[in-house]
Amino acid sequence: MSPRRRVAITGIGLVTPVGNDAPTTWANLLAGRSGVAHIRGFDASGFPSRIGGEVKDFDATAMIPDRKLLKFASRANRFALAAAEEALRDAGIRPAPATGHRWGFSAGAGMMGMTFDEVELVHTYCGTNGEFNPDGFLDNHFPADPVAFCRSQTNSGLAVLTRHFGIQGYATAVHTACASGGQALGTALKVMRRRQADFVLAGGYDSMLNPIGLSAFCLLGALSTDNETPERASRPFDATRNGFVLAEGAGFLVLEDWEAARNRGAHIYAELAGDGNSLSSYRITDSHPSGDGPIQAMRQALADAGLKPEDVDYVNAHGTSTLMNDRSECAALRAVMGSHIEKLAVSSTKSCMGHLIAAAGAVEAAVCALAIRDGIAPVSANHVRPDPDCNVNLVREQSKPMPIRAALSNSLGFGGSNSSLAFRHPEAVVNP
Amino acid sequence: MKTAPRIAITGCGAVCGAGLTVEAIWDAIVSGRSAIRPIQSWDASRWPARMAAEVVGVDNRTLVEDRKLHKTISRTDLFGLYAAGSAIQASGITAYRETLSAEAVAHFNDRCGVFAGSGGGNYRSNYEFFPLLTAANGDLQKFGRELGETVNPMWLLRILPNNVLCHVGIRHGFKGTNACITNQCMGGIMAVAEAAAALRAGEADRAVAVGHDTPFEPETLFYYHRLGLMSPDTVRPFDRGRSGTVFGEGAAAVTLEGMADAQGRQATIWGEFLGSGCTTEATGIVDLRGDGDGLSRAIQLALGDAGISTAEVGLIVAHGNGTLGSDVSEARAIRRVFGDDLPPVTAFKWAVGHLIAASGVLDLVLALMALKQGVVPGIATLNSLDPEIAPFTVAHTAQPPRSDIALILCRGFGGMNVAVLIRGTSPAATA
Repeated sequence: MSPRRRVAITGIGLVTPVGNDAPTTWANLLAGRSGVAHIRGFDASGFPSRIGGEVKDFDATAMIPDRKLLKFASRANRFALAAAEEALRDAGIRPAPATGHRWGFSAGAGMMGMTFDEVELVHTYCGTNGEFNPDGFLDNHFPADPVAFCRSQTNSGLAVLTRHFGIQGYATAVHTACASGGQALGTALKVMRRRQADFVLAGGYDSMLNPIGLSAFCLLGALSTDNETPERASRPFDATRNGFVLAEGAGFLVLEDWEAARNRGAHIYAELAGDGNSLSSYRITDSHPSGDGPIQAMRQALADAGLKPEDVDYVNAHGTSTLMNDRSECAALRAVMGSHIEKLAVSSTKSCMGHLIAAAGAVEAAVCALAIRDGIAPVSANHVRPDPDCNVNLVREQSKPMPIRAALSNSLGFGGSNSSLAFRHPEAVVNP
Repeated sequence: MKTAPRIAITGCGAVCGAGLTVEAIWDAIVSGRSAIRPIQSWDASRWPARMAAEVVGVDNRTLVEDRKLHKTISRTDLFGLYAAGSAIQASGITAYRETLSAEAVAHFNDRCGVFAGSGGGNYRSNYEFFPLLTAANGDLQKFGRELGETVNPMWLLRILPNNVLCHVGIRHGFKGTNACITNQCMGGIMAVAEAAAALRAGEADRAVAVGHDTPFEPETLFYYHRLGLMSPDTVRPFDRGRSGTVFGEGAAAVTLEGMADAQGRQATIWGEFLGSGCTTEATGIVDLRGDGDGLSRAIQLALGDAGISTAEVGLIVAHGNGTLGSDVSEARAIRRVFGDDLPPVTAFKWAVGHLIAASGVLDLVLALMALKQGVVPGIATLNSLDPEIAPFTVAHTAQPPRSDIALILCRGFGGMNVAVLIRGTSPAATA
């Protein structure tokens, strides 16, 4: 067997509540500016939670001038197209007819297929009395839209992106709720190491900011109801936190072989150095108070990357701003990091963006790569009252310039899938 | 440097319209019995495409005994948990775990992976908002205000695509590396390939891989029919009279572990995972290439991964979904790789329907049976081979496999193609 392949991150693209590209997103995260506001996309005024991290003033045609293709792309898939295009431009390399079969695709894709308009349409024909009547579809006037059906398929994002960019190798879409994006990056790393691809376009995309998506989380009581102060509603690790803020967007990274990237003179943000992946197997929505599950994921990520706890300077926490996640995650961090926890900088950029669900892990992986490049840990905004159960060294008040040799990004999902990714500074890479 | 470990298949489980065990499904197939019949779960008598291979007459408690769970997960999840539970039970790994010390049990669980291929595409769950939509009558503010009084507070939990993954973990205590693949038809077969890759890379010692789906809800059937993909009566793979596919429902699962570990605990070995290949044709959501380019590349990648030649392949389980475009391009892809030296080819969708996310792993489990029995079952609905496909080694009646190795092919939306190679434990191996 050949030695294990080293994987470089050479391109980043983001569409988030704080910016429709990576530079804008990063600048706003560093400044601690919130992208959370009253929901404008629909009338949310009757919902218990009426705030969200919406992507604003987004025009997909600016990046993807192909209206026919965009017809086949849902809102989340349009974010994905724009973020992926930005990542490929940034990397300065993209699939060509001769190389497309060596490009792979791995993405965390959201769980919602149907749009609210489509649900309303089916309601009009098949359920005005509240009961579902299948024969409504057979009504001669039912305005069937096969393109909308295609958009709603679980792998429609994969289909649209691989087609547009000409990716013909290994392709996968995964969904482990809030861990999806992290797991997609982990899969991409493994695909590279197995040499099933020489490049992988890896990321995540999601949009649940519609009446049904918002309903789903309102019903579970998982969302912050700080409707009068949206920009302060997401406050991970703060003693007064009261739920997460639903958000939308996409993030993509271009992964390639380390040596190949160096040989072509590509800018390398960081090494995607390790992946840890575990199941909590505890409860569907609850995290184990001891941090069991995330502990194994972080330890694996470190071991996989050949890192010791004291090598890590920054952790981008899952940090959703729910009571239980934040407490469990801090317990896990303390268990894994030991005494190094005092020196380690931790932040949750969900404090500014809210929770991008299936896209969160991919966006936050990009944040880690940018933090390593610029030597600055982004602020964990809105942290005012420390919670003694969340005793970690948070980046408070403002972003903190500091050399980052290695970073971790955690993504912990409903159902107990845990992903932890390890990143290493290019200069900390010791070549064999 | 150590070489990649061999991967044993030590347990199988399956449920579909043709039966509740791998053996029962196999018996139906070799007897030429198809489970495809008119849909019973709703009145589809007016529908142009109204056939399916439904699981009927099976109580939910037969699938999953815990009744509390019936309220919090979906039908597709019940199938997935049942098949995964069967595969775990058959493998004996949980019985083996009971012989270990507490410390070794914790290690065992942390090193046991779970990989699920999940169908998603849940349209019906959205209809649970219909009473609220009716009450709100277009007023979204009212919709928001009355939400809590009308809709089940646990609504989201029932539709989570990763429910089977989580509940297999919770029920069996497995806590290792995991994935839930939502890549339409590829879900189950990619779960197997990823589980095997995790074992090879030393990320886990054991893993269960399961695919599950219940695709034939009305909205899906309606639009598949509109897209020209559904047959009004049955699936006729590679036949000149084929008219589309028919949905099935259910799940299938395998338990994988390192060959040395499996032999060490004297497990019954069903077969061996040899290799896989995965490609996309980059053709968008429903289109595929006429030349089968993506599939032939996937087969070649699988052969390379397994380190075997085409001549060593003893049988092929084709995707054979009975649609005009897929079958002809599939046959072209197979011929492009195998030339004139074709092993016997079969397909099972005529008997079990198209289980979408579960289809590939169900085919894999049935391929193990074919190798074990030394029989490549005939395609009962194949009467006259499509001249565009001929010459092709499919048959109405059974054929003998020419070795103990099977190639399983799986295709789906997104121009996706996956090929997997396994070795069976045929008594009649290596002709």
